[in-house]
Amino acid sequence: MMGYVSYLSFFLTLALIYGIATMGLNMQWGFTGLFNAGVVGFFAIGGYAYAIVIGPDRPDLVGGFELPFVIGLLGALVFSALAALIVGLATMRLRSHYLAISTFGIALTIQLVALNFESLTAGNLGLIGLGRPLEDAFDTPLGFNLFYLGLMVVATLVVYGALQLILHSPWGRVLRAIREDEEAAVSLGKNVSRFRLEAFVIGCSLMGLAGAFYVGSIGYISPFDFLPIVTFQIWTMLILGGSGNNRGAILGAIVVWGVWTSSGWLISTILPPAWQVRGAASQVILIGLILVLTLLYRPRGLIGERVTVSSGARLDDG
Amino acid sequence: MTTRTWALASTVALAALATGTTGAQAQDCTIPLGAVFPLTGANGPIGEPIAETGRWAVEQMNEAGGVHGCEVEYLLRDTQGQSAVGVDAARNLVDVQGVPALLGAISSGVSLPILTSVTAPAEVVQVSCCSSSPSFTELAESGESGGFFFRTLPTSRAQGVVLGNIASQNYDQVSVIYINTDYGVNLAQEFQQAYEAWGGTILESVAYNQEQASYRPEVNSALAAEPDALVLIAFPVDGSTILREWISFGGPQEFVLSNALRSDDVLEAVGAQFLDGALGVDNAQVSGPSVESFNADYQAAFDADPNRPGIHINYDAAAVTLLAMAAAPEVTGPAIRDHIRVVTDPEGEEVYPGVEGFSRALELIEAGEPIRYVGASGPISFDENGDVAGPVLIWTVTDGALAEDRVITVDEVNALFDELAQ
Repeated sequence: MMGYVSYLSFFLTLALIYGIATMGLNMQWGFTGLFNAGVVGFFAIGGYAYAIVIGPDRPDLVGGFELPFVIGLLGALVFSALAALIVGLATMRLRSHYLAISTFGIALTIQLVALNFESLTAGNLGLIGLGRPLEDAFDTPLGFNLFYLGLMVVATLVVYGALQLILHSPWGRVLRAIREDEEAAVSLGKNVSRFRLEAFVIGCSLMGLAGAFYVGSIGYISPFDFLPIVTFQIWTMLILGGSGNNRGAILGAIVVWGVWTSSGWLISTILPPAWQVRGAASQVILIGLILVLTLLYRPRGLIGERVTVSSGARLDDG
Repeated sequence: MTTRTWALASTVALAALATGTTGAQAQDCTIPLGAVFPLTGANGPIGEPIAETGRWAVEQMNEAGGVHGCEVEYLLRDTQGQSAVGVDAARNLVDVQGVPALLGAISSGVSLPILTSVTAPAEVVQVSCCSSSPSFTELAESGESGGFFFRTLPTSRAQGVVLGNIASQNYDQVSVIYINTDYGVNLAQEFQQAYEAWGGTILESVAYNQEQASYRPEVNSALAAEPDALVLIAFPVDGSTILREWISFGGPQEFVLSNALRSDDVLEAVGAQFLDGALGVDNAQVSGPSVESFNADYQAAFDADPNRPGIHINYDAAAVTLLAMAAAPEVTGPAIRDHIRVVTDPEGEEVYPGVEGFSRALELIEAGEPIRYVGASGPISFDENGDVAGPVLIWTVTDGALAEDRVITVDEVNALFDELAQ
C-alpha cells in the first residue's frame, strides 16, 4: 500500500512539473498564438542553470556554487528568461510556422551546446552529486517524495494563481486580441511585438522553472534529459488538456503523463514474459490511439477555453 | 483407452515430471526481478536482444529450481530511451512491484538518474550491462550510490594499469601525450597512477585537442625533457601526426601506445619501420569453456548468432543478480548487494551459464560452499566500486606488422590491481 502512495506521489510530482511547463506553453500558444516548438530548450536552460547554481564545486568545471535550492530556482527563472529575451528579440517578428521552425532549431542547438560545452555542463557525462533539497531530513524515499510533491502542489498553485491574475488583466486581454486578430490589435494602438515578446519570455521562464524542479527531483542532469520528444509531450499535454485554459494545461499534463507511463505498466502486467519485448511497440500504439481518440471526441481538449469577452460581460457559449 | 483417459494420464505424467524437476519448489511463490531497457526509440534495436537475454537467464534459473524455491518473475519495462520514462518505470517497479534488484538501463543518461533518484535511495541493487560513464565510479567512491550499483561492462582501468605496467618494465622515465577527451583524460590518469606506483617517472604530460593540422608545440614540450620513450594515448589520425612529428624532431623511437592506435592505418601513415618494437594494449577477445557453452546455448535458443552488442554482459548481469538473490539469506536489496561478491568469489568452485550451471550453483549454495560464477563474458570480479575488469591484450609492431604479444587475463589484471592497492 505504501508502495502505491510512494509511486503515485512521484508520478504526480513529475506530472505537475510538466504541468508548469505546459502552463508556460499555454501562455504562448493558448493565449498569444505563438508557436514555440523549442519548449525543451528552455526546460534545459532552467535545469542547467539550477544545477550550476546549487551543484557541488568541481575543480575542472565552471560553476558549482553550492547555493540553496530557492536561489537555484531563481537562477533558473533568470537564465531562461534571459535566453528567451535573446531568442525572442531575434524571432518575434516571425509568424506561426516560421517561429516554430526557428524555435525547434534553437532547442536542438541548446541541447548540442549542453553536450559540447564540457567545462560548464560536463558534456555527455552529465552533472552528478546534485543533492535533492532536504533529502537527508527524510529517512525513507516515501518521505522525500511526499515532501517534494507538496512543494510541487504549492508551486503549481502559485504559478496558476499568478497566471490567472495577469491573464485576466487588461494585459491578458491584449494577448488574446493579438491571437484572434493581430491587425485589429495594432489598429487599436497596441505595441504587438512588445506584448508577444513579454508573453514569450514569461512562458519560457516557466519552462525553465519546470526544468529546475525536474533536476531537483532527480538529482542529476545530462543532455539526454532534453531530447526533442519532450517538446512534443508538452504540446500534447496542452492540446489534449485544453489550449487556452490553465486548468486544462494541468489536467492535460497529468492525463498524458499518466497514459504515457501506465501503458508500460499495463503491457507488462497483461502480457506473458515471452511477449513483453515485442509488446513494447504496442505501448507506443496504445499511447497514440488514446491521444487520437481523445482529440476526436473532445477536439477542444478535456477542458477547453471559456469563451468570455471580459470578466464583466457574459456571452452564451456558442 | 479413450482420448479422455489419455489426456488425464498425460496430465498426471506431466505434473509428476514438473514436480520432479522442480524438487521441493513451492509453486505459488514468486520473487520479482525488475528490468528497464530501451525497447522502442533509437536504442530499441540494441535493447531488444539485451532484454531478451535477461529474460532467458531468468527462465533458465527457474528451470534450475528458482530462487529459494520460488519462481523469479521478470518484470520488463521500456524506457523509450527517455530518462524521465526510465526513472518512472524504475520507480514503479521498486515501489509498486517491490523488486529487490533491477537490471539496466543501457545508456548512462538513463541509468544514472535511476541510480540517484530511485535505486540508491530505496536500497535496491542495480546491475547495468552497458552504461560506460566514469560517473558511476565517482558516485561509488563518494559513497552516494551506497554500493548498490554494479556493472558488467569492463572499464578502461584495466588498460591503463597494464599500460603502466609494461611501460614501467621497459622505461624509467617517459613523456605522455594524450587526447583531451574523457577517454584520454581517464586513461592518462590511470596510466600515471600505475606507472608511478611501479617506480616510473613522468617527465611531461601534455594534453592535445583533436583534429589539428600539426602538434609541434605538444611534441616539443614532451620531447624537451628528454624521456626514454613516448606514451601516446590518441586516435589514429591525430596519433599518426604526433608520431611523425616526434620522429622528425629526433625523439627516441620507443613507443607505448593506447588501444585505438592498434591500426594498420597508423603503420602506413607513419612508416612501420619507425615503429618497430612499439608496445601497445587493447581489449582482448574473451574465450574459454563458459563463453563457448553460452554461445552454443544462445544459438540453440534464439536461432541467431550471439554477436549482438551487450548480450553476453547482460546475461552475466542477470546471472550474477539471480545467484546473489539465491545466496542471500533474505531477498532484500542490501542482502543481495552483500552477496554479489560472494557468488563471484575467486576461491569458489567455478559454475557456468545455463540450466546445468545454475543447478550446480544452487546445490553448492545450499551446501554452503563458495562459488565463482564464470560467465558468458568470462570470469567476473567486481571491485569495491562495482566495476569489473576485462582481459587485456598486449600487442607489438614487429617486422613491419602488428602482432599479438600476449594476453593478460582477468585474474592477472586483478592481481595487478591488488599490487597497486598495497
